[in-house]
Amino acid sequence: MHMDIDVTQSSGVAVVAPRGDLDMATVPDVRRALTGLLDRGQSRLLIDLDGVSYIDSSGMGALIAAMKQARAAGGDVRLCALQEDVRAIFEMTRVIQAMSIHPTRQEALASWR
Amino acid sequence: MPCYPDFDHVGEEIRPAGAPPVTPNPAGSTFSMTSEAEHLLRLRKWLREELAGHGVSKQEQPNLLLAVGELCANSIQHAYEGKGGQPIKVSVRSSDDSLVIEVEDFGKPFNSEGYEAPNLEAMPESGYGIFLVKTIADSLSFDVARERGTRWTMVKYRPGRGPAAAPGPAGKS
Repeated sequence: MHMDIDVTQSSGVAVVAPRGDLDMATVPDVRRALTGLLDRGQSRLLIDLDGVSYIDSSGMGALIAAMKQARAAGGDVRLCALQEDVRAIFEMTRVIQAMSIHPTRQEALASWR
Repeated sequence: MPCYPDFDHVGEEIRPAGAPPVTPNPAGSTFSMTSEAEHLLRLRKWLREELAGHGVSKQEQPNLLLAVGELCANSIQHAYEGKGGQPIKVSVRSSDDSLVIEVEDFGKPFNSEGYEAPNLEAMPESGYGIFLVKTIADSLSFDVARERGTRWTMVKYRPGRGPAAAPGPAGKS
């Protein structure tokens, strides 16, 4: 099963927008996309989750792994546009306290300026 | 029934005094899948309809979808160690008071002694599955006293009907 993932560049930030359910079946695609960007030296990533209506712990784990790798390289992985149902897992696990999460893509991009 | 000490409620035996009994409707429905992650999407579609049929509100459904998904992912990853083609069964039944969801696999049984709750402060990259199920469910138990595998049973009380619901005519909002 494959996931559609749009990657665009905006002022030195790679904006990654997956579409669909981010679960154990699709997480390899997201992991590959994020690792590919990080390995090429792109350490500022914004994951726009507007198109994601379900995320499980494996999906969240991939985002955490990318964030740790990015921060180790002096960058960050930030999130935006979380749907309410998606937000719940970040709250229950308290990941929401450690990740930089923004309501909109514009606000997330502005947080880097 | 074997239990892990960190589980708040294990089975009906330790249901707090005064809590409504779990009297599930025996005529529940069952979903069968094999142990490929690709089937999780189909499982969620089935479960969404099933939960609606049991009167679970749209607001409550997402967390239950997540909990059941995590139990099935646990079966795929740990009970079957990633091997495909192995059976997983999910069943749902309900009463006026509660919803009972079972997830059953026939692989390596859950090892409660090897289980460690995630250290949330350290923000690990994995190991959240059972923690999430415990957080979402009102009661979680597992049965490994079988020939093979694990049967997980999670109970979710209907709003205002669980042990935490205040007795008396005023109730709780």
